[in-house]
Amino acid sequence: MDLELVQRVQAGDKKAFDVLIMKYQQRIVHVITGFVHDPVEALDVAQEAFIKAYRAIPNFRGDSAFYTWLYRIAINTSKNHLTSRARRPPAVDVDAMDATNFYDAAELKEFETPESSLMTDELQKTIHQAIEGLPEDTATAIKLRELEGMSYEEIAQAMECPIGTVRSRIFRARDAIDKQIQEIMGEGE
Amino acid sequence: MTVNQNELLSALVDGELQGKELDDVLQLLNTNEQARRQLQRYQHTSDLLHDHSVSHHHIDLTDRVSAALDDDAAFTTSSNNTAQIIAFPKHFWKQAVSLAVAASIGALAVVGVMTQPENQLIQPPQMASVEVETTPMVVAKTGKRWTVEEQEIEERLNSYLVDHNEYAGASGVFSYARVVSYDMGQ
Repeated sequence: MDLELVQRVQAGDKKAFDVLIMKYQQRIVHVITGFVHDPVEALDVAQEAFIKAYRAIPNFRGDSAFYTWLYRIAINTSKNHLTSRARRPPAVDVDAMDATNFYDAAELKEFETPESSLMTDELQKTIHQAIEGLPEDTATAIKLRELEGMSYEEIAQAMECPIGTVRSRIFRARDAIDKQIQEIMGEGE
Repeated sequence: MTVNQNELLSALVDGELQGKELDDVLQLLNTNEQARRQLQRYQHTSDLLHDHSVSHHHIDLTDRVSAALDDDAAFTTSSNNTAQIIAFPKHFWKQAVSLAVAASIGALAVVGVMTQPENQLIQPPQMASVEVETTPMVVAKTGKRWTVEEQEIEERLNSYLVDHNEYAGASGVFSYARVVSYDMGQ
């Protein structure tokens, strides 16, 4: 599906790139924080990596998976950022552009705090508990998908049911997990 | 948000949509903010399960990246860097072969002339044991012009070089080949 999204971007559909960002932004920021420890800078580098990826996407031919390609861009952008930062003094003020990033920066400052780690652990525990509380078929479907990384077709073969049923079971599992998370996060609609 | 729409968003997280369903869900995401938030929650849950998440909050870079790319024009199919076959005109190969032949003849003539010692008469090879009356083809240099004693050979050589010169001049390529002009009058 990534390739189809990439082809849509190449054909002029900018919004298709939003889906790729939404899909990979957590992973990319996670990768970048291995190089850039400052949360504000990590977000800036992630943004720069996605911008570079968008501008280079006409050259993406699908020789590798999109994420592999994006990952390399993120790594190179991180390294370039570290190199350039070593040559210039750290920024001491916030200009108008940075001001728009304050909300995200405030969130990222929690990356390394004990409270943040505790909250993340709590969420993961909630997700696993929610999965264990699901009907067996639904729990198996989401486990095979999320923990084993199997495709819908593979899950359908393993569970001896139609692909549509697999899709429906995985959705029901996600919906149940989402409700549990929203109770914790206070994001109820 | 309908159950079916949420199911599509779930399948999108798994990369299991294509064709019309992908069109539908992209359209939904373009027009429905709630759908975007729902997709991000599903994706965040997946990231948490895979331990890819750096924060218990959603991180949303889409607005920042979109704002930064506002001035970038959307790509068009023609701007794709896809491999393309360059189509030569039908007469290209014929002209190329003619040019190659003409250039070869010209080069041979130049090399031949340049390798001749000054004022040397070219003698036909002598056969060791058979006495044959030979008519030597003699090329002599008179001033800056070579002459060939046999009229037929001279005319043929003239014809080659004139043809070559005309081609070189007309094509705009290898105009320096005019230096091999055999007869200044032609």
